[in-house]
Amino acid sequence: MHVVEVATGRVLDVEVLSVEAFDYSRITKSRYFFNWKKEREEEVYKLQIVGSNDILGLISIERIPDEWRIHVRLLTVSIENKGKNRIYERIIGNLLTFVGKIAIREYAELACISLKPKSRIAQHYVDKYHMNITGMTLRIELREILRLIEEYDHDK
Amino acid sequence: MISNKKTEDHDFGVDSRYTNREERSNDGLALMGARLERMKNLSPFEIIQAKLLQLKLEIEEFLSKPVETAANHFTSFLSTYIDTIYDRRNKFAEDISISPVKLSQILNNHREPSEDFMLRLMVHSEKVFEKICPFPNETWYQIYFHEKVGETLLKKAQWKLHLSNDVKTSNLVEDILR
Repeated sequence: MHVVEVATGRVLDVEVLSVEAFDYSRITKSRYFFNWKKEREEEVYKLQIVGSNDILGLISIERIPDEWRIHVRLLTVSIENKGKNRIYERIIGNLLTFVGKIAIREYAELACISLKPKSRIAQHYVDKYHMNITGMTLRIELREILRLIEEYDHDK
Repeated sequence: MISNKKTEDHDFGVDSRYTNREERSNDGLALMGARLERMKNLSPFEIIQAKLLQLKLEIEEFLSKPVETAANHFTSFLSTYIDTIYDRRNKFAEDISISPVKLSQILNNHREPSEDFMLRLMVHSEKVFEKICPFPNETWYQIYFHEKVGETLLKKAQWKLHLSNDVKTSNLVEDILR
């Protein structure tokens, strides 16, 4: 997995790791948009450039084994990576791909990831991450997850 | 329901948390209806592809951590591999040109896999995974030795007590280390 530095086109390898208790002191709402401290009891992962401990993005998930589904609770990039002036791109895609791999590992062909964004940004997720719409909820299943893996983790 | 409003500045995050169990459950029901339709349309290749990718991800997970339980991990992964692509294990034995008895003994942990068996397995999985995803040649060996090392360390208390009186360092070695 990698991110691309927008200004230079430089490609940098990234890793996704579990968020540790000591990380929460630096995961502030001002830099990561949400109160992540409320997610302490959840399954939360951070994306970092290999060799750096700066967190570029975060994702919190809920596994729902009865439905072979993983629901994304919270997902964000750091403030410097938001919008047109972002430093790196591919952060959200990498995080979703990481969760996609967990879903395949757990549920194989039945795997599903769901997400419930505000309606104004839903279309963006449909277009960019090949999500399907059911009511106000978005989902990706095997075919889309494989597509994400191919796009964001093709070396694996 | 989905707005077409320009979204280029919105790729920073989502708060998608359910507020209660009922909301989650209703969402699950609605999603399942749509998902079942798509599940029915998966091809046999897509199902095998997903199962082999699942196996690969499980193996990666196993290799990334120390072995914590004494179990037959190698044969468990091998059984899953064979059962994913064959409806009869004898067919796999035939394909890699070994006797069904030998395969059965390996799968039931009555016989260690020989180097020849490992090489045949390596060639077989290279051909199978070629159309699915990268599967490094060394994977089966890594599983085998990861299990062996883990098993040995899990039993350390037993063998160390037994062997510590039998194993000595000579005076010469002690002089060098001093």
